[in-house]
Amino acid sequence: MKFLPFFLAVALFAGADDTFVLRGVTVHPVTGPDVENASLLVVDGKIAEIGDARLKTPKTTKTIDAKGLHVYPGMIDSNTEVGMSEISSVRETSDVSELGDFKPQLRAGIAVNPASEHIPVIRANGIVAAMAVPDGGILAGQASLMRLDGWTWEEMAIRLDAAMHLRFPTVSTASFGPSGFSRASFSEARRNYEARLKNLSEYFERARRYQKAKAAAGAGFKPDLALEAMLPVLAKKVPVMISATRERAIKDAVAWGEKEGVRIVLAQVRRPGSALALLKEKNIPVILGPTQELPLEEDDPYDEAFTVPVEVHKAGVKFAFGSFGNQFSRNLPYQAATAVAFGLPHEEALKSVTLYPAQIWGVDDRMGSIEKGKSADIILTDGDPLEVKTNVKRMFIQGREVDLESKHTKLYKKYLARP
Amino acid sequence: MLRYFCRLLCAAALSLSGGIAETPAVIAIRNARIVTVSGPVIAKGTVVVRNGLIEAVGENAAPPADAWIIDGAGLTVYPGLIDAMNTLGLSDSGPMTAATGGGRRGGGPPPTTSSGPPAPPARGPEDRPLNTSYLLAADQISPSDRRIEAARNAGFTSAVTFPNRNIFSGQGAVINLAGERAGNMVVHSPTGMLLTMRSAGFSGGFPASLMGVIAYIRQIYLDAAQYKTAKEIYAAHPVGNRRPDYDKHLEGVLAAPRILLPAGNPKEIERMLRFGQELQQDTILYGLAEGYRAAGTLKRHNAKALIDLRWPEKSRDTDPEQIDSLRSLEMRDKAPSTAAELKKAGVPFAFYAGALTQPSDTSKAVKKAIDAGLPAADALRALTLSPAEIFGVADRLGSIDKGKIANLIVTDGELFQDRTKIRYVLVDGVKYEPAPEPSASPSESTR
Repeated sequence: MKFLPFFLAVALFAGADDTFVLRGVTVHPVTGPDVENASLLVVDGKIAEIGDARLKTPKTTKTIDAKGLHVYPGMIDSNTEVGMSEISSVRETSDVSELGDFKPQLRAGIAVNPASEHIPVIRANGIVAAMAVPDGGILAGQASLMRLDGWTWEEMAIRLDAAMHLRFPTVSTASFGPSGFSRASFSEARRNYEARLKNLSEYFERARRYQKAKAAAGAGFKPDLALEAMLPVLAKKVPVMISATRERAIKDAVAWGEKEGVRIVLAQVRRPGSALALLKEKNIPVILGPTQELPLEEDDPYDEAFTVPVEVHKAGVKFAFGSFGNQFSRNLPYQAATAVAFGLPHEEALKSVTLYPAQIWGVDDRMGSIEKGKSADIILTDGDPLEVKTNVKRMFIQGREVDLESKHTKLYKKYLARP
Repeated sequence: MLRYFCRLLCAAALSLSGGIAETPAVIAIRNARIVTVSGPVIAKGTVVVRNGLIEAVGENAAPPADAWIIDGAGLTVYPGLIDAMNTLGLSDSGPMTAATGGGRRGGGPPPTTSSGPPAPPARGPEDRPLNTSYLLAADQISPSDRRIEAARNAGFTSAVTFPNRNIFSGQGAVINLAGERAGNMVVHSPTGMLLTMRSAGFSGGFPASLMGVIAYIRQIYLDAAQYKTAKEIYAAHPVGNRRPDYDKHLEGVLAAPRILLPAGNPKEIERMLRFGQELQQDTILYGLAEGYRAAGTLKRHNAKALIDLRWPEKSRDTDPEQIDSLRSLEMRDKAPSTAAELKKAGVPFAFYAGALTQPSDTSKAVKKAIDAGLPAADALRALTLSPAEIFGVADRLGSIDKGKIANLIVTDGELFQDRTKIRYVLVDGVKYEPAPEPSASPSESTR
């Protein structure tokens, strides 16, 4: 019974459900000034025209009266495990990491489960795309930018090789082994770090030799999937995403990137200190972790985590937000919102979950703002999407309307009806 | 003539074994400043030592005719120092720490006391895990422990030594820090039982957590009380009664005259004091890193305390990016003031150097306590008469009084001052001269 109206709709607008016009809306293009009482024409899943109430459209174009609603570009989460891990403590549902230190050939996108219960939950707050990031080892594999709609991973993939995830070695004195938590001396940790760094450099050297061998196309050349995957990295077509939280790790990572001649994006930046100037100078973008966190150190001010984004913004470093997990991805807009309450300009916060991630992951020609020619990955809201009380009323991904039902809404309805 | 020859031979034999100086049976130190600890300082007097005991002390004590005379002009005589908690002589013991945090911090597998297949993990208190309460430190002393000489060179003539590998590790003993055989060294045994809060750790069986350790200790004392009653009833009425099973794990618990419990911060101090009361045991707390915050509590409970002379400090070779919390900075700054605070509050306390890697660091550590407000005389007392009182051997050790054991140190200045050197150490009336310290301090040598 429930499917009947859907079939009717398909029959009536056969092949044209990604063509429509929204009327009476306020458009927030992010790249330019807001347009009130606007009409937004979407043709074949792409934004065709932004006009006023008088915008003329063909008679056959479906009109959606969305009077009073706001149109924003859908949000992008720049670091998740979405679709790769359903319940992290249940081994069978977790497909995040592979064994071994160097496995650049792995593509996270193909491990994304399109039927994950997390996806509708995340979408409900206006997120249309997310980076699926593999983990484990040193070169964990390729992080893939996935749109949060589709029957298969192929339909979901926006860019399978959006970044190469490098778990950069750190000088870590703390470790957890079979005999519990232990602390090594700094010099020991430093030696360990240098050994791992050496392995990493050797791997990049191997990749460069492979590159030369391939170019020479000699008789003995043997194709290798792993080293093949390194070629776009060496050619600076794919950035290396490096987790680096504190000043020393950031400086080490930047110096390494310079040495290897690769493009880098830093993730989980939290205490950059004087390295901020370096990031600005080298034009290196960063992915900030959750803002709603406890302070890093016992004696830090309570707002230590809340003020990281504004510090990064003031330094002129480009940044985006990531949720670094799966189920809390839905809080992405509120992570940006907390930063606004602690000094980050509102428009910057909005860009950090829309335009900036699109630029960082090299897809700003397709998404990240509401501009002519871009994919219609948009949300209709009754207010500012960074505001907790705002509801996302409708969502379109590539111009197709997406169901906003989720496990949460189902549970909400179920318990609302409880006698 | 023959007798003289004999004596020469004996002396030669003695000096061969471990570099002991030729020591006559009677020694008199005269014209020295004498710090008796039990009474006023004698500005210029004589101490006579005969057969390992103090025969006379005073301004007017006359050196006997047969005495070997040491001219004490410019020298000071102190009672030998007592380390209130150590593992000296017990080669199978770890360092003395006062970590009360539970979980796996204790770590390390329990020592195997017998060969053969390993025992299955303990399931509960009935398996008596981590319990070697029946071990006597006095039986385990190894006079060849190299740490003994190092401690003696630092001025220690006695130590209260405890096995510390288990929760119920065994019975401590007061030992003198010199002797050919273990039997020469033991002054008093058993002296008490050191309780540690270590757990069996991952898959080591019960108890695997701090709450398990506490519950286990409780159960052991309940079992011990019941065991004692059963034994008494059986002793009175052996006929017609079934004999109670012999349990060596409880025998040791019953034999201990007192227990030592670890406590660092005020909460731990309060809890451990209550715990000791609940167990109905004469309780001594050890550790006391944050004792400066709990002097009032300790006084209210009439507590006795052993203060760890290894003051908390930043560990070497740490990550320079690591930020120390204000809390730990404060603790490092204030820990040495614990002794002064306890003195003000009137809480009996002694120092223990057992956790220091080098006995020669003692002087520096004590200096810190003095700089933090402890009168020098009280610092000395905390390493002499106070530990003797706390462990019930003040009739034999801890001060320079007639009839006490002749454990003395002779210095060329005020003890615990940088430039002061220890000239002689007398243990049981036998004189030792500390070897001059090597210029570069080999801090790793005792590991």
